[in-house]
Amino acid sequence: MDQFLRVVAVFLEVAVLSAILYCMLNGVRLALLDFGVGPKYNKVILMALAAAGSLLVVFFVAHLTTFYPTF
Amino acid sequence: MDFWTGQLEYIQDVFKPIIIAVLIFSPALLALFALGFYRRCLLWRLGREDKRTDSILTRIKTTLGVALAHLRFLNEAYPGWMHFLIFWGAAMIIVSKIIRLFSYLAGIDNPPQDVFLYASLASEIGAILIIIGGLLAIYRRYIVKPSRLDTKPDDTLVFLFVFLILITGFMIKGYRIATSEVSPTDWAVWSPIGYGFSKIFATFLTDYRNEILIWHRVLFHTVIAFVFGVYVFASRSRIQHLWLTPLNVFFRSLRPKGALVPIDIEKAETFGTSKIENFTWKQLLDLDACTRCGRCQDCCPAHLSGKALSPKKVIQDLKDHLNQVYPYPFVKKPVETRRDMISEAITEEVIWDCTTCRACQQACPIYIEHIDKIVDMRRNLALERAQFPESAQQALTSLGTRGHPWRGTTATRTDWTSGLEIKALSENKDIELLYWVGCTAALEDRNMKVAQATARIMQAAGINFGILGVEETCCGDPARRMGDEYLFQTLCQKNIEILRGYNVGKIMTTCPHCFNTLKNEYPQFGGNFEVIHHTQLIADLLREGRLQIGGTDGKKLTYHDSCYLGRYNDIYRAPREILRAISGTKSVELARSGAKSFCCGGGGGHMWMEEPIDKRLNVRRVEDVLKAKVDVVATACPYCLSMLEDGLKAKAAEETIKARDLSELVIEAVKKKA
Repeated sequence: MDQFLRVVAVFLEVAVLSAILYCMLNGVRLALLDFGVGPKYNKVILMALAAAGSLLVVFFVAHLTTFYPTF
Repeated sequence: MDFWTGQLEYIQDVFKPIIIAVLIFSPALLALFALGFYRRCLLWRLGREDKRTDSILTRIKTTLGVALAHLRFLNEAYPGWMHFLIFWGAAMIIVSKIIRLFSYLAGIDNPPQDVFLYASLASEIGAILIIIGGLLAIYRRYIVKPSRLDTKPDDTLVFLFVFLILITGFMIKGYRIATSEVSPTDWAVWSPIGYGFSKIFATFLTDYRNEILIWHRVLFHTVIAFVFGVYVFASRSRIQHLWLTPLNVFFRSLRPKGALVPIDIEKAETFGTSKIENFTWKQLLDLDACTRCGRCQDCCPAHLSGKALSPKKVIQDLKDHLNQVYPYPFVKKPVETRRDMISEAITEEVIWDCTTCRACQQACPIYIEHIDKIVDMRRNLALERAQFPESAQQALTSLGTRGHPWRGTTATRTDWTSGLEIKALSENKDIELLYWVGCTAALEDRNMKVAQATARIMQAAGINFGILGVEETCCGDPARRMGDEYLFQTLCQKNIEILRGYNVGKIMTTCPHCFNTLKNEYPQFGGNFEVIHHTQLIADLLREGRLQIGGTDGKKLTYHDSCYLGRYNDIYRAPREILRAISGTKSVELARSGAKSFCCGGGGGHMWMEEPIDKRLNVRRVEDVLKAKVDVVATACPYCLSMLEDGLKAKAAEETIKARDLSELVIEAVKKKA
């Protein structure tokens, strides 16, 4: 049961963290556009942020499965 | 006191970091919010001036009524109550959280502490209300899929965003309960869902039970709001309606409903709106405030008859156009090449489709003004581009040269009076009431009977009235609604001169369009008269007993509300009093009556425009009449009378159902008595 709950908890956390990450990074992208960074760089920014986001998600999954607190 | 011992520890280890986080992030959040809001303000400021700060108390009252009591929202049960739940759920959470947040600073670590627990429960109930409302909304938007709703990715994101905030809130509650060393049984009941979550999350070992883990949970909770929620979402998505809606309601128009804004012909640099910047700041605010609810579309008679016009689409297309012309508001410069707003973004077909019936504005819960924008674009078409539908052009030419739009008529202004012994003001100035006949009643064959019936009624009641006769010219309504503001002002000022010359005080008219223009628009040019409609006069006469009418002959009657009498001037009761007096209990209401009445299709200049056969509004309205299974449909407007008769002919029902003006029905009843 504990094991099951732990899996559920990790899954929930990763889901929430990924959503938050997406929100944050997309927000950074739109803010950059707004301040005239230039539509020229849009693709570059997108790819950079997507890469950063994916790396962070991988990190979260690894971190949580390894270090999730136990009873 | 177990609870409070645990709480004190909790307050030291957990709550303090939260307070610090909030205190650091709040100014940053506010700054980001202000930046996002300013981003939109820059666009509204492109518009022209418009003074909207009069009658502050009235404005506050309406805003509070709409926001708190959900006036107009609740006109439709499902979306109205669904939103009510979401709004009040959010309000409960916000108030409870503020209480809980500041309870530490207020020192509620001594009794009374119950308020803390009540706030905890209230915030959870609030969250449940939002979830229920949200699920109702999701069901409606994604499964029922009513035609008036269009769903963009932004809408789905907003749902996800809100659910995310609620779920992370419960998660944090769950963590907090889980980390507390004190058994939660005595106060878990005050946070039932949080307690449930705490069971899911593993409790922490003492080593881990430190604020770092809690810190970063809380941080993420606020960081969503931080970048995306506040700046980006708040300056782009429908989340803006939280502040734009009250703002839009606050700055709503307090002018008489039927009064369009005049153009200062001498000082104006442009006539009407050919570019998006020509609109006023309030009209641009309307574009941002629109939440695409679609209520306007659902009641637009043109849209329901298959025409291209959709009020919602007009607003959204104008908004898209604004965002296309100014994609980066901070840069403050428009793009080099832009689409033409009138012919490409909106299209002339849509602009001319509107009958100015005001159903859209009546339905809009946030008081967006659709008609002003459409008429402003018509004004540009009329006065700068000289582009009209051809038949409309002919009516306006006739208006300018002959003083009435009925080209082709062989009648004169006084032909209808033959046999009635009515004197013109030029012969007899000593009158108590001027009967303003109107172009249609004076010159159009069918409507002449209405003028004759009305005159006979007044004679039967012993009213000393007169007419202008050949001196009467068009009140100007068709010109103004078709955008020819210059022609309207010419006619208007000429009429005011004549009326003042005769010292006219009280005017009665049989046409709601004349009624509206004389009453609500002539004062803009100094013409202040007491104006009544013939239904008001007849209702008064019946009430006072000055008219004796005979019994009915058992016919079943109904009344079709004229847009310019009902929605524009709130006259619903007088015609119904007349109907009841004539028919006793044999009168029924049409579907879509009263403020929701379906336009006959004659307004906005459409009396003089060609209509495609399969998209006629009057035929749609006659279908309502047929469903009501009546013998007579009563009207109070010359346009409605003509349009309904046409519609009955089109449906081959002119033998079984008669269209009559109320004055005709009354004079018949008077004759029966005599």
